[in-house]
Amino acid sequence: MREVFEPAHADLRIAYLEARQRARSRLALARLRILYAARVLLLALDCGRVVIAGTLAFDRSHPPQLPGDRHPQEPFTMLVYYARHALRLLLREPGFTIAALLTLALGVGANVAVFAVVEAVLLRPLPYVDADRLAILKHRDQRTGLTKQDVAMGDFVDLAARQSAFESIAGYGSGQGLVFGFGDPFRVSTLGAGPGLLDTLRVRPVLGRLLQPDDSRPGTAPVMVLGYELWQRRFGSDPNIVGRGVKLGPRERQVVGVAEAFRFPPAATVDVIVPMTVPATAPAERRSGWWPYAVARLKPGTSIEDANANLAILSTALQHEYPRSNQASEYFALPLRDAVVGDTKAALLLLLAAVGVVLLIACANVANLMVARSLARRREMAVRMALGAGRAQLVAQLLAESLMLALTAGCAGALVAMWGVRGLVALLPASVAAPGLADVRIDGRVLGFTLGVSVATALLFGLVAALTVKRESASGALVAPGRVTMSRTARRATSALVVVEIALAIVLLVGAGLILRSFVRLLAVDPGFRADHVMTMGFAVPSDRYKDADSRRGFHDRASAALRALPDVRDVGTAVVMPLTGNNWTVPFERVDQPVAAGARPPEVGWQVASGGYFRALQIPLVAGRLFDDSDTPHTRPVVIISEAVQRRFFPDESAIGRLIQSGDGPAEIVGVVGNIRRADLRDEPRADLYFPAERGPGNETTLFVRTTSEPDGVLPSLQGALRAIEPNIAFLEARTLSDVAAASMQVTQLALWLLGLFAVISISLAAVGIYGVMSYVVRQRTREIGTRVALGATRMDIAWLVMRQGAAIASLGTALGLAASLVASRSLAAILFGVSTSDPATLAVSAGTLIAATFAACCGPAHRAARVDPARTLADQ
Amino acid sequence: MRKPRLPEVTHLQFLVLAVLQSGERPGRSLRKAIGQYGVRRTAAAFYQMMARLERDGLVEGWYDQITIGDQAVTERRYRVTPAGAAAWAETRAFYESAGLAAARERWSDA
Repeated sequence: MREVFEPAHADLRIAYLEARQRARSRLALARLRILYAARVLLLALDCGRVVIAGTLAFDRSHPPQLPGDRHPQEPFTMLVYYARHALRLLLREPGFTIAALLTLALGVGANVAVFAVVEAVLLRPLPYVDADRLAILKHRDQRTGLTKQDVAMGDFVDLAARQSAFESIAGYGSGQGLVFGFGDPFRVSTLGAGPGLLDTLRVRPVLGRLLQPDDSRPGTAPVMVLGYELWQRRFGSDPNIVGRGVKLGPRERQVVGVAEAFRFPPAATVDVIVPMTVPATAPAERRSGWWPYAVARLKPGTSIEDANANLAILSTALQHEYPRSNQASEYFALPLRDAVVGDTKAALLLLLAAVGVVLLIACANVANLMVARSLARRREMAVRMALGAGRAQLVAQLLAESLMLALTAGCAGALVAMWGVRGLVALLPASVAAPGLADVRIDGRVLGFTLGVSVATALLFGLVAALTVKRESASGALVAPGRVTMSRTARRATSALVVVEIALAIVLLVGAGLILRSFVRLLAVDPGFRADHVMTMGFAVPSDRYKDADSRRGFHDRASAALRALPDVRDVGTAVVMPLTGNNWTVPFERVDQPVAAGARPPEVGWQVASGGYFRALQIPLVAGRLFDDSDTPHTRPVVIISEAVQRRFFPDESAIGRLIQSGDGPAEIVGVVGNIRRADLRDEPRADLYFPAERGPGNETTLFVRTTSEPDGVLPSLQGALRAIEPNIAFLEARTLSDVAAASMQVTQLALWLLGLFAVISISLAAVGIYGVMSYVVRQRTREIGTRVALGATRMDIAWLVMRQGAAIASLGTALGLAASLVASRSLAAILFGVSTSDPATLAVSAGTLIAATFAACCGPAHRAARVDPARTLADQ
Repeated sequence: MRKPRLPEVTHLQFLVLAVLQSGERPGRSLRKAIGQYGVRRTAAAFYQMMARLERDGLVEGWYDQITIGDQAVTERRYRVTPAGAAAWAETRAFYESAGLAAARERWSDA
């Protein structure tokens, strides 16, 4: 192969390079590149053909024999013969071939595109050594059912010391920081690494060393490790960077090494790694004072189930030892991939199942076309049989045709997939942080899948057509070629195929209908605030200039005043938690006058730090009391605002205003009650929330919420300009409108809606084409019978009804089967649905109605033709 | 005189050997030259034929580096071996003698 490909490829390359020198424009260059790539591909295929042909059949001796000297009995020659014959037959009937190819190419293409994403997200190994042994620790509050990824520091220390399932457990935290001293300050992603994190991930240094446990000890000199990409990008791969000081935020840190390129969490860039302090023991009163994330590496041979059994025992022990913080708290480990992929796994598998159904429908349709075609070729088959061809040879011929069709469709499908996969990735929610997603490609595994799907497809529809070949009817076909009809088997097979198509289409239609109803319900949900005309923008001020709460409060006051003075700005507020992004941080709630019994854990309510302007900007209604205002400062007594749900739950028959609750700063007075909002997600029930005043202790990093009178996108430059005028070193983080945030929270439902809707439309169309084909055939077959009926006095309506009745029988059977299958299949949608049951009668009825209408429409053409049959001509033909 | 026997090379191989009589050539120039005789072979089929001629010792092939613009490329060049030259001469002699014999035959009939 090499001796053929190499010189031929060299010729291609020379021609390409010569043409490239003559090319005058970029367009011409691009064209040349595409042509070159296509020619190399064709050359590779041709080399394969030439070498296989030369090896297997045509060149057993040297010098080469003349073409007539081939040995027809050799298997390869037979294969080539079948393939050529199949190709000729397919080219002879371009209408059939194009219809079948288009149907299959779309079906295969959709499957390949979805599989490419599944491969990248679910199958491709994560980029760590022994990645399947990595797990993320999580904990679940059994009282509320809420699951969180962060681990209370006290629990982390105890779990790390007592567990026996993991080789190591390491704490980490992700953040952002500003680097000064290298031109303009620039923003970097930081990974706070607890002792052992980089060992757990098996990261190696490229230069210098990585972090050591001593680096995390309080009081040691601050150090940092540079990420590979940052070292290349910002420090020009300087080999002498080790030992230099780099100012990260308020502190200068010594660079001790450069790590190899890696990402952690798997989709996050790591620019800088700094040591994260983890205390050796956790003091009882600070157990929940700090919440790192934790990643663990399973011991070799230990399964995730074993680890979870171990963690369950430890969780129970901690519940008994620290009931006030750990009651009903359960720790568990989730494989790293599952933690990264989250809900998308179910959505992707659902999608794969849906495209699989579309392909099945496509196969059923092509099988129907093949059966109809084999009928038309009955005479050809009969002649072949009469000349001695066995049934096996005819079946082999039909299978060769199917294979030829399916493989061509597979190639076209791979092209469809290359185009479709980009659109699919663009549709995926931003919350899907699988590292493979940035690199979804049609690689060897995907092409293998394409080949597998193509061959399976060929067998599926080819066998149905092949099974209709019968020896005994051959003589009939020869004697009376004009009266060739489908055998009973073939007739039943085509009707059964259409029934299956309709049933499958109903399943998809019901799925799409249920998701559509969920989506409509989600759109109608009142989140408790108004998301329109609100711009949100994260920002951070340098911590060395704003060291204390007073200086930060001063900045916030100046910033608020400057922003409010801008035209188009109505209200300005800040908050820490962005609504509708899944955040479910909570805080214990305890009335000072009704303390929780000793040994019991206080209930938890949602946690938010917000300024008074936040409520105005989001138009969260004030129900009682007041919002936070200028009178709340770092030096005044602690105050809080509660949501109505807190009022109802903890102060059912009294006013909450003026009551005291326990907070981190001591007793805090409730000064206001605001409306409930759906904070984490639109599907969330409105939860009890506790708001702490941003005015009392604004942080260095916060999110701005600005209500505008015009389109919010337009005010962004003026917002940034006003803030930069106050603090030139301010760093701006992500900026987007609150409407975009709300839309993003519905993206999984939207994606499912778009795709299932698309698949449902395709399958209805295919099913309609299928029933049209069958009914057309039925009408052709019964033309004489219809002619006789008309001659005997049947009206056009009677004839039309005759045809429609047969179509209706097929449609009814398919619909009944489809509805039954839908009731089972739609259960897999439960996680995506909102406010609608998986067996919603309205959706089932509308889906069935739509499909029956589509089949009715498809039957109209054949029925119309039947009604116009001229009895005189038909009977005369007899 | 040796008794003439059927040549071992095909017409196409004879043509290739004939073109190479005038000196060594790169593969693509050789392909172009035989194209002038109406021979249409895909690059793969052509180089497979050349590989067989090399295997049988009738031609010798080697890679030569050339530069186009700033890119270095290697191309396959070929020359005829003594065995190839002998095979070509033998084939040519065969057809010439067969042609002459046929002509003699016609004259004697007349």
